[in-house]
Amino acid sequence: MLSALSSLQPRQLAAQVLNFALVLSTAFMLWKGLSVVTDSPSPIVVVLSGSMEPAFQRGDLLFLWNRGLDTQIGEIVVYNVRGKDIPIVHRVVRRFGGGDTPLRLLTKGDNNAADDTELYARGQSYLNRSKDVIGSVVGYIPFVGYVTILLSEYPWLKTVMLGLMGLTVVLQRE
Amino acid sequence: MLGRRHCQLFSVNTFDNNIIAPLGVSWSLDPVSELEQRRAVMTSSPKVAVYSLSDLKNTTDDALPNYLTSLKVAQNHNHTDVRLLLGYLAVVVSGVTFYFDYTLGFDKTKYWTAWAVAAYFVLNGLFTWWIWRVEKGIVFQGSVKGQKLLLYSRTEKHIPIYHLTARYTSPSAPSLWQEVQLQAPFTRWFTADGFFVAKPFQQWLASEIPPIGQADPGNVVEEIGRGDGSARAMNVQPGRVEEVLDALKDASGRMAGSQGARSRRKA
Repeated sequence: MLSALSSLQPRQLAAQVLNFALVLSTAFMLWKGLSVVTDSPSPIVVVLSGSMEPAFQRGDLLFLWNRGLDTQIGEIVVYNVRGKDIPIVHRVVRRFGGGDTPLRLLTKGDNNAADDTELYARGQSYLNRSKDVIGSVVGYIPFVGYVTILLSEYPWLKTVMLGLMGLTVVLQRE
Repeated sequence: MLGRRHCQLFSVNTFDNNIIAPLGVSWSLDPVSELEQRRAVMTSSPKVAVYSLSDLKNTTDDALPNYLTSLKVAQNHNHTDVRLLLGYLAVVVSGVTFYFDYTLGFDKTKYWTAWAVAAYFVLNGLFTWWIWRVEKGIVFQGSVKGQKLLLYSRTEKHIPIYHLTARYTSPSAPSLWQEVQLQAPFTRWFTADGFFVAKPFQQWLASEIPPIGQADPGNVVEEIGRGDGSARAMNVQPGRVEEVLDALKDASGRMAGSQGARSRRKA
């Protein structure tokens, strides 16, 4: 297998490596394209906790849309806590402002007893719709996202998967 | 021993699929055949899976430019270069986008990312179009003695026939393109266990495509066979005749000896 690879001339080797690079870059560009269309930095997220049960379970895949800036009470939004990189999926229970003043939201998980005031950063008691929220949920696929949870809990899986993918694409010449 | 080798030489001249001149054994009867055998050994070392059509096609496609460049045909890499250029340009665009998005965050780079995505898919589309329409299976592009030559190859799914389209010009009419369409089954130049034999492949190319035939007249033959071409001529050179006669004498002597023994016993 590898001997077949070494017998290639430089242009052919470059062409094989290009195949792999194109697979990666097409996947990345599709993600970025979706990101730009939805205006959300992360248009597809995975539910990590059980705080929205029974609506969403751990491992569900959520699709976000960030262009509906007049979020209503009852909508499910995904937001980042200021200073932390963990997205949280909860439902809007109160809203203040909107129109001329910036829209501010209070959220609460369906399965939680209290609202999210304790989850926010110190000194923060509401969410700013344009700054903190990365989108509202417009659709979901159950359970598919469990792969992502596995990949984040066992980071070596990412390297293994990428390595296998790279090897198969570079070595095959179908 | 030499006599036996000569007998084997005579018997290799068959078109049976399984009998092939073992390459790597130097059966040099004259300098020309040794060069051809060496050439054949170079290209026949990898073993391919005989039932995999893509393996057969890829091996043949790889051998073709090797053969032509050994004939000193100047190879033009334009088509490959354009494809690599388009492809790597797209990859660079995506790499730059990734870098800036990673370091500066989504909000700051939103505007440029949108343009980068558009540019990427345009480049990708051009790349795909180049491969699909312009390249169209080209395996060789070059020129020999003022004649331009383009070779396109293809196979149809699950049918082990190699289709080759050759377009060439003649030196007297450099803008007039002539086209020859050939097909041959892969069994012509692959053994049953999957070794590629260069000689019949070269003979096929040289006999069917005029510019290659002019560059390599030694390979232009009426009937394309396997193995070393010189084996058919059975040219026994003066020095070797005695050895052949000796071998024949030994063989007949053995027969005569057994007859003699029988007659002696009778007596």
